[in-house]
Formats: sequence, C-alpha cells, structure tokens
Amino acid sequence: MADLTELRDEQLLRMMQAGDENAFTSLYRRRQGNIYRFVLEMSGSAPLAEDVTQEVFMALIRESRGYDPSRGPLSAYLIGMARHHALRMLKRDQTYVSAPQAEESWRDPGDAAPAAGEDPHSVMTRREAIDSVRQAILSLPEHYREAVVLCDLNEMSYEETASVLDCSVGTVRSRLHRGRALLLQKLTGGVKVEPAREAINGSRCLA
Amino acid sequence: MNCKDFGNMIHELVSGRVADKTTQLEALEHAGHCLWCARRLDEENKLTERLQAFAGSLQRQRAPLRIEAELLQAFRERKLEEGTPLFGAAWRRFWRGAAWGLAIAAMAATAWIMIIEWPRFHRGTSVVPSHVSTSRPQVSPNASRANVNPGSGETGATLKSDAKTPAAHIGNSQRPLPDESRSEATTDFISLGTCDDSQCMEEATLVRVALPAEALLAFGLGTDNEYAPDAMIQADVALGSNGVPFAIRFVN
Repeated sequence: MADLTELRDEQLLRMMQAGDENAFTSLYRRRQGNIYRFVLEMSGSAPLAEDVTQEVFMALIRESRGYDPSRGPLSAYLIGMARHHALRMLKRDQTYVSAPQAEESWRDPGDAAPAAGEDPHSVMTRREAIDSVRQAILSLPEHYREAVVLCDLNEMSYEETASVLDCSVGTVRSRLHRGRALLLQKLTGGVKVEPAREAINGSRCLA
Repeated sequence: MNCKDFGNMIHELVSGRVADKTTQLEALEHAGHCLWCARRLDEENKLTERLQAFAGSLQRQRAPLRIEAELLQAFRERKLEEGTPLFGAAWRRFWRGAAWGLAIAAMAATAWIMIIEWPRFHRGTSVVPSHVSTSRPQVSPNASRANVNPGSGETGATLKSDAKTPAAHIGNSQRPLPDESRSEATTDFISLGTCDDSQCMEEATLVRVALPAEALLAFGLGTDNEYAPDAMIQADVALGSNGVPFAIRFVN
C-alpha cells in the first residue's frame, strides 16, 4: 500500500469516500491547519476557527461528492467552504470581532516564541511587529482582507484565490493591490505610503 | 517599462510570481533608474517581509486535537450508517424504491377506503341502491316465513300475493325487473305495516339495499348461526309515494 502522505488530496478523498479512515485522517491532518489559520486570520477568533474547521470536515464526511475536480484543487474547495461557513457564522454573530477582542481570543503561547539565544528585547520587538500586522489585517475591509490572507499569508495563486472567492483573477489582483496599499498605510502610522511625488518627480519615468 | 507597468506588476515581483525572467529583469532595471519606483519596491518588500513574519508566527496554529477525535467518530458513524459503499448505495436505492412503492400502495388503499368502503361502512340502514327499479309490488302482509322463489322468467318481482288482502290487488301491472334480477332467489314481500291504504302503493319504488344479516332474524328468517356476525345481505325495499318503506323482500 502506498504511503498516504505521498498521495494527492484527490486520491485521499476517493479513498475516504470508499470508507478508508486512514485516508480521512491523512487528509484532515494535511489540510486542517490551512483552514484553521485562514479563519483565524480572517476573523481573529480562535473559537470560530475551531468551529469552522470542524464544520468543513463534517460537511466533507457528509457530502464529499459535492467536490468537482474540474473546478480547482481540493485545497481551494476546502478553503472556499471554510469561507462560506465563516461568513455564515459571522453574519449570525453580527460581525467580525474587533481587533482588541481578537487579540484576547487569539493568543498562542507559541506565537512569536523566542528562538534559542534570542534576547528579550528583540523578542518583544518582533512580537509588537506581529501584533501590528495582525491588527492592520483585521481592520481591512472584508474583501481586501480575503485577498491578502489568501495570496500573501497562505501563498495561494491568483487562480486558486479567484476560485475560492468566486471572482475573476483580475478582481483578485485589484483587491490585493488595494489591500496591500491600505496595509502599508496602516502600518506606517496613517501616513500616505507613496513617496512625495513632488520631490522625486523629476527623476520619475525617465526610463 | 514605465512606472505604470512597474506598478501593475510590483506585487508579482515582490512575491516571486513573475514567471518571465526577462520581464523581471526589465522591472528591476526600471527600479534601478526610477527613484520613485525603487522606493515603492523597497516598501513593498518590507511589507512582504512583515506579512511573511506574521504568517510564520501562525505556522504552528492548528485546530485542537479533540476536533480530530470528534471528526473521526463522526466518520465511523457515517461509515456504519452506509455500510460498505457498494452495498450501502444499492441498499439505499432499494429502500428508496420500496418507500415509494409503499407510499403509492398506501395512497391507493386510502383512496379505496374513502371511495368504496367508507360509504359501505356507513350505509348501515341507509339506502344505497345497487339496483333501483320501479314496480308495484304485491304485498303479502301476513307472510311470516318467506317462500323463496327462484325468480326466473316471471314478470316483475316475483311476489306472492294474498288475494284476501286489499293490498294484494294492487299493482297488477308490474313492470319487469331488469334481467339480472330474474335469476335471483327472493322471498316474498313482507309488509312493514306502515301503509294501510292502497294509496301509498300506487307509485311504489323498489330500492335495493344492503342490510346486516341480523335483519333476517328480525323478520323470523334464518337462524343465529347461519351468517357471520358482520355479514351483509341484500334486500329490496318498497317505498311508497310518500317515501316511507312499506314492504321488504330479501334477495338470495
């Protein structure tokens, strides 16, 4: 029997449909982290991320034949399901939690843990930097946040992201562009990120 | 490449998504000449590093182990529900078909009961004519025990008449009953004592009804054990012009 870790998601899914428990476990362990992190990054809520992860795999157990391989990879399908579940739950619970609330529920002991020999000052600086990015991401409008989380944090391709968000690649690109611009603005303390055009205007576009 | 082109592809450039090496080199060369684009590239690179650091800090984030345990339990339960996939699917198809069959049979049975059996059940002494004809029966008011006549080719309801009673003279011009009644064995008409004059018999109507077999006993016919408790028998009831039954005879 082939090593399950070497099999593709789609193969594991077929084995799972045939009742193979090991295939299901393998698929779950391979994909649960992505789903959990995606919801955590989107919502800032660890309990919500747990609920959504469970819901997604429960749905896969119940209706695994809902996946159509011609529409994209299984990983994108699962993230798409997670997005739907998360949006549904968030609509039910009114809105995304605010950044300070998120910070309360999203605090992991291993988060930005010091490396061996790292001095406390640099650990604190790094932790602050991470917190500022987290808060900046959580404060983005939802559709920009989705693009940033999927493309930049989860390193999904534009095509996969378009499949998850059910929009065109062009829309993904423009949302990502705008989302990153907003992030830069927030992370530089509300100052417009773009350099003062007047100062460098003369040297611009000469090439 | 100009600044606009550079701006359009800057994200691909910093995330390493530019597949074409030549385009990548052109973009970097442009950034080397253009201060504005160089600064922008630097900021985008810093942002990407910060995002990567943030993503790296989350790499160890996982769903708790209890979720895996709960999902495995759900998976096993689901497997038990379905049985082996092939058998489960065939079994599900079978039960689906059987359920439809049962539903259709139940609907047909309900329709049968509502249309056929329900009126029969409620009929009791009510009149449900299986055969209605008009005739002017001759009534034997004194008949106590029926003479069963295999009603063959005689005219009308084969009625035994008592010439001594006035009623016996009424209705000499009976019309013949339909053919099916000719082969029936019937008793004589028995007076119900509700008609004392000949007037009500002038335009009598004969109605075929179903009655509980006990009715025979009421008229001194048959025996207790002859019929099942819920058996039904047929009878012809003569209705007077006023609609009141005045005579009855039992069929078969």
